[in-house]
Amino acid sequence: MAVKLTISWILLHGFVIAFVLINLASGLRIATLSKPWLLELSALLPQGALHWLHIAGGFGLSATAIAYVIYRFNQRPQRATEAKGKTPTTETLSDKFHRSITWLAYPLVVLSLLTGWLKFFDSALSVTDIHFYAALGFVLYLLLHAGGYFIQYGWPALKRAFIPSVAESKPSWIIALPAVAGLLLWYGIGYQPSRDLPVKRIPLTTLMTIDGITNEPEWNKAQAFTILTRGGANFTNGETPVTIKVLENGTEAFFNITWQDTSKSLEHLPLVKTSQGWQVKQNGFNQFDEIDYYEDKLAIMLSDQCAPGGGGTVHLGPKPFTDRPANFHGKGYHYSDDGKVRDIWHWKAVRTNNMHLADDNFFGPPVKSRPGDRRYAAGYIADGKESGAYVMNWQWYKPEVIVPKRLPKHDELIAPYQLNNELGHKTNNLPWVISWFDYTPYLAENDHYPIGTVMPSVIYRSNRFEGDRANVRAHGQWKDGMWTLELARQLNTQSQYDVILQTGTCLWVSAFDHSQVAHTRHQQAIRLIFEKEHD
Amino acid sequence: MIRRAIGIIGLLVAAWLIALLNPVPQEQPSPSRWIKINAQGQIMSSWSGPWTCVYDTKTQLLWEVKTDNESIHDGYWTYSWNDGTRGIENKGDCYFEKERCDTLDLIMRVKTEKTCGLDNWRLPSSKELLSLVSRDTKPGEPLIAKDFFPQTKRGDYWTKDSQQQLTGTFKYLKEGAMAVDFVNGSLTKLPYRNATFVRLVNTGYAARERPLSKGVRSITPD
Repeated sequence: MAVKLTISWILLHGFVIAFVLINLASGLRIATLSKPWLLELSALLPQGALHWLHIAGGFGLSATAIAYVIYRFNQRPQRATEAKGKTPTTETLSDKFHRSITWLAYPLVVLSLLTGWLKFFDSALSVTDIHFYAALGFVLYLLLHAGGYFIQYGWPALKRAFIPSVAESKPSWIIALPAVAGLLLWYGIGYQPSRDLPVKRIPLTTLMTIDGITNEPEWNKAQAFTILTRGGANFTNGETPVTIKVLENGTEAFFNITWQDTSKSLEHLPLVKTSQGWQVKQNGFNQFDEIDYYEDKLAIMLSDQCAPGGGGTVHLGPKPFTDRPANFHGKGYHYSDDGKVRDIWHWKAVRTNNMHLADDNFFGPPVKSRPGDRRYAAGYIADGKESGAYVMNWQWYKPEVIVPKRLPKHDELIAPYQLNNELGHKTNNLPWVISWFDYTPYLAENDHYPIGTVMPSVIYRSNRFEGDRANVRAHGQWKDGMWTLELARQLNTQSQYDVILQTGTCLWVSAFDHSQVAHTRHQQAIRLIFEKEHD
Repeated sequence: MIRRAIGIIGLLVAAWLIALLNPVPQEQPSPSRWIKINAQGQIMSSWSGPWTCVYDTKTQLLWEVKTDNESIHDGYWTYSWNDGTRGIENKGDCYFEKERCDTLDLIMRVKTEKTCGLDNWRLPSSKELLSLVSRDTKPGEPLIAKDFFPQTKRGDYWTKDSQQQLTGTFKYLKEGAMAVDFVNGSLTKLPYRNATFVRLVNTGYAARERPLSKGVRSITPD
């Protein structure tokens, strides 16, 4: 234990311990979103809105690292003087062990901070895994460093780490200020990092067709903004870059969004006939976390503030509040703490694309749970609708066997799906949505279908939603490994569940590659800057 | 030193055991005012289905549950008000009658079917139907516990309270019946001829299943 235990060192050491523990606990909980196996440790990890804590911890650790560099720099003359007058001593094996372990902290801190900042700024570099393994390195480091000292020296080692034993001739406690200043800067001024996206004005008379084909010349004038989104299931490395262009004409805003997705996934929870009866093909749907048999989706969140952690709506863990039910997948809930709503446009490649709509939803305060609903979604709620619906083709969902609501009037209606099955799911042009009136209510005597028969499960009861839930027109097309989605919505719908589109409105995008909830995400909000302000 | 090493290992094992013994909690249905009842009259768990009736532990009433299966219970069907002596026949829309539909058609069919094992089904009183109104709903939903009463429409539902003097636009039709509007949860007077939704009620279940008033006796599996 050759370190001089000055007040400054004790202070810095204490800061590092605090910030590393905060970042490890909050970071491992955040990692459960894309690494579900970490849920095995769920009971040991904190729950709730943790993104701000993780970012604050990152700020603190960065400031402490800077302070440590200053401290070491200031100590240089003193160390040189001491080294001259010091008689050489023999280093024991344990001293060598502790010194080499201590040195391990430096690359871990540098790696964690570097990758953390790259993630914070949504860099296009794939650093998520490096950041995660650096965190695991810290867990090992804590065991070897703190555990090693404790095993060798017992409680006095811990006491020495927190009580200064050397009086400083020139106390340099001021070096702790960067850590405090870093925290105050972030927390005190409510830092809400965002990047600007200019929104170009187009004439009101310009026709913009919402069809997923961006051949309108106006799109060439719009500025493209690309952001790498991370942490989603099924994407290569869990990542996909999303490019956004926005135009507005004083009444409506138009969005052109493209993202990479190597597979066009429309097989949304298909039904298959087995020897036991009809089954829903699924892998996780029973826990509301389907990751195989699900449609592709894209979600856009809009808010009048730009707080990290999905506008402050992300609350991680199976039970982030005591008085509401736990979620089955253990990942968490979206809801707002400030009583305001965040607008959600949820485009679904099967359920809403054929309606030429995105599902207009919102994140609000958590609602009361309903005893009859197995799934509790906290603050994730659909806007109200007057009519229109898609329904699933089962009378009641069970993981083993279901009874369909309806069967086709003619076998030809599902013949293409059998061919697709035989071809190994290579057909990309099947709609995977069926019409209510092409099918008839299920009767066992009509269920003559052989084992292996496949049937879509999404039924359109009517053409499309009407009312508040239908405020967002949208249509997407998939081609050559890329989805292109066009959306349009009035700047101000007058709905209490919608956010006004104007300068300062922040948005976030999340892509879903045939997954129910395991979506990609990014850290910084995208802030709309309108070229021309409205009256 | 060995003891301290064992202590560290013990700490790690304890953390592992805490994690192991406290997995992600799997929720169970919470107690409810409403109890699902299947077509044979048996109690079901709150998270199982499909169910045919709902028993209200507060009022001891058994309610018909609507469906979307084009049966006599389909929630889209509408009925004119008719009790055989008063009202207007066949002004509603349904698939199960050759002619159009009225409330008596549905009551006769449900009695024949012995829905949930009972045959004394009837239209509810205004007070009974108003007891279903719930303000704890999501945007755009009818004012009812939709987790137990699916396929409820944002519209009017007939009560048995007839011989109501009509006013305003309908004054010239003289007489009608009360209905509950599940958009705003209020009572409204409608002419007998109006095509209006119906949810039937039964008071015989509590007497038949007396232990229900003291709590759920048995639950059929999902």
